[in-house]
Amino acid sequence: MNVPVSLRIAALAIATTAFYTYVGQLVPQKEVQPPVEVVISKDMKPEEMAKVGREIMDGKGLCFTCHTVGKSGALRFPDLDGIGGRAASRVPGLSDVEYLAQSLYEPDKYIVPGFNPGMPVISKPPIGLTDDEILAVIAYLQTLGGTTTVTMQTKINGSAGGAEAPAAAPAAAASEGTAAEPAADAAGSATPAQEPGQ
Amino acid sequence: MIKKGLAAALLALLGLAAIVGTSKFLMDREYKSPALTPPGQTAETPRDRGLADQRAEQEKADKEKPYQEAEYRPFPKVGSRVAVWVAAQLHLLFAAFVLAVPLFALIIEFIGYRTKDPRYDRLAHEFTKLLSVSFSLTATFGAMLTFGLIILYPKFTNYLVSVFSPTFLPYVGLFFFEAFFLYTYYYGWGKFSPRVHLLLGLGLNVVGTAIMLIANAWLTFMTSPSGISETGALISTWDAVRNFTWMPINIHRIIANVAFGGSVAAAYAAFKFLGAKTDEERAHYDWMGYIGNFVAICAFLPLPFAGYWLAKEIYAYSQTLGLTMMGGAFSWLFIIQAVLIGNLFLGANYYLWLGMGRIQGAQHFQKYIKYLLILVALCFMVWATPRSIISTVSEIRAMGGSSHPALGFLGVMSAKNTAVNILILTTYVSFLLYRRGGKTPTVKWAKTGNLAQLGIFLAAASIVLFLGVYGYFVEASVRIAFSIPQVLSVLFAMVSVTVIDVFLYKNAEQAGEPRWGQIAPISQYVLIFIAVTFTWLMGLMGYVRSGLRQHWHVYGVIRDTSVDAFTPTLGFATKVVSVTVLIFFLLISFVFWLASLGGKKDWEPRVKEGAKNNLPEPEDLGAAV
Repeated sequence: MNVPVSLRIAALAIATTAFYTYVGQLVPQKEVQPPVEVVISKDMKPEEMAKVGREIMDGKGLCFTCHTVGKSGALRFPDLDGIGGRAASRVPGLSDVEYLAQSLYEPDKYIVPGFNPGMPVISKPPIGLTDDEILAVIAYLQTLGGTTTVTMQTKINGSAGGAEAPAAAPAAAASEGTAAEPAADAAGSATPAQEPGQ
Repeated sequence: MIKKGLAAALLALLGLAAIVGTSKFLMDREYKSPALTPPGQTAETPRDRGLADQRAEQEKADKEKPYQEAEYRPFPKVGSRVAVWVAAQLHLLFAAFVLAVPLFALIIEFIGYRTKDPRYDRLAHEFTKLLSVSFSLTATFGAMLTFGLIILYPKFTNYLVSVFSPTFLPYVGLFFFEAFFLYTYYYGWGKFSPRVHLLLGLGLNVVGTAIMLIANAWLTFMTSPSGISETGALISTWDAVRNFTWMPINIHRIIANVAFGGSVAAAYAAFKFLGAKTDEERAHYDWMGYIGNFVAICAFLPLPFAGYWLAKEIYAYSQTLGLTMMGGAFSWLFIIQAVLIGNLFLGANYYLWLGMGRIQGAQHFQKYIKYLLILVALCFMVWATPRSIISTVSEIRAMGGSSHPALGFLGVMSAKNTAVNILILTTYVSFLLYRRGGKTPTVKWAKTGNLAQLGIFLAAASIVLFLGVYGYFVEASVRIAFSIPQVLSVLFAMVSVTVIDVFLYKNAEQAGEPRWGQIAPISQYVLIFIAVTFTWLMGLMGYVRSGLRQHWHVYGVIRDTSVDAFTPTLGFATKVVSVTVLIFFLLISFVFWLASLGGKKDWEPRVKEGAKNNLPEPEDLGAAV
């Protein structure tokens, strides 16, 4: 049968397009929804904060776009496993909460050796976490190899109310388990900061 | 028959009159309450009063209605996003074609002017035949896109206007000049001195590129905004223009446009070749297809390097944005891209290998093709290997994670960068073999030259492979920087080997001229396949460039709060891309058809054999006057 050239060309164009569409259906299909605002109340307990913090890191915070938990090898950003335990010793003079806060509010202040700068300021767009959301994230990070000491009343530098916060009690006190710190305590004065990656 | 028709029409009219009459009769007898009718007023039914009250309420509500600026407006059936997406993509495809064709038409015309070979002039003219209708279609889709944005996304469009309004007037002015240059260039072919005509072509290219630079500023600002305050207020329009991704997109687009334009022009030549009636036509369109494809592949080879630069700037602007692109929601899109680019390389190589058949004395190179094919296939496989694999829980357990224990190593950038660089080198070797077909160098240093070329190839390939493997053993900050020496070594190899080859084959003995037109017809379908694949690739990469912003109209500044704020699945995106590509090819076929009308005879009235022509002869007309 002698098929006209124009029909052959049309068939080729349609078949090629159909093939690529088919390839497009073979890859994982994920619809990414805009981040959902998580409800945070001022009377949340530390464990509740950690749970919400994990949700924020998964969603609005976009943390796991870059970071991993429990992976090793050629990583682009630091793995967060055990960060709750080593945060206090990352930067001399900074408690774990202070260090974690600094890594979120001023991520370029401290770069974990072997990695490049690149973490955005989490409190500003496009991520734009609120101070309360950041507290929840810190609460979750503390659970990775440590204990949650931060509370919803903790004031930290970099946050909207941070500048007015009185000097903090040593974070070590918190980590020793002095229950939830009152607003003026905990991670107060020191400037937090980052792992390009935390 | 006519009487029956008239009777039926009359009957229908009578029926209609009966229905209207009956309705009026019944309505006139609506209930009227005399008790409620004030004396001296016309009798009014309760229904009339109700309607009057309703109208009065509506009028009052209309007067008191506050002005509210619409944020979004819906588009029927497909939604606003898809409507704007398709209009933008079609506009970009035609714009790319209209920008690219003058670029290489001018170069071909210039070659013809310098070599005095009229074939080049004819070829350049034939390329430009495709321009005028494409230009109109570009403008039409541009208008559709603009109106689409104004109507469907008024608030966002208003914001863009507030930032970029100083660029609009120059844009319109340049558009006017583009029309002037384009039509003068096309209609003035052969009517001006060659130098004046070349200048017109140059003007067309300069103006076209300037238009693209302005439009690129608008779209790149959406991805990497700058020149504004934290709340989005304009500080400097110029800073907004020269944002992080502006120049990389400019360069990437110019190269990609040439590759795309070349491939579509080659598809036109293939279409004409397949329908050719004479050997002369076949020879001409075979040559035209070869030139179009040559232009496409020449531009295609450095394109990944421009892509690296663009990606680097995206990372420099925002690591989050970069990682969303390469490691987040869009990471699987690059597997689809690998399939497309792999097909392009395969198609381009296959066409070159088929082309060797038309060169006398090139047969002895054909024995190398199988090795080149193996290399191309291997690189293709590495590039298309994903890092993580979709698998069941038991499969994940068996593998010890979502990555395959062995193949997972091929899914990372070290492997992929290596594969694409080797792929580029292999395609370049194919081209080199084609170029050498049927020629024997006559220079004394021929052996040394060949050895030098081989040495350069081996050195470049070794650097690429070594850095690719070494990348697995170093930290991220070091590994990322390896792509630069890999790219540079490949570029150096291509440039230096070409320079040596030009001198090596100067005054070479030739076994015979290429037998244009004597190529297997399947080669022409390969050209069409390449053009469709290029177009699809442009659609896909246009999607990732725009979709990367996810739920932001302007990244980090203007948030998308519409119903379309979510990022669709890749499956859905590929369907939209496919529909757009098919619409484009339907329209470009129309352009091809229109362009081919120029060579046809003018219409003449058919005269029946033996019948006397009743048209008056000119002399008769003169006598009559």
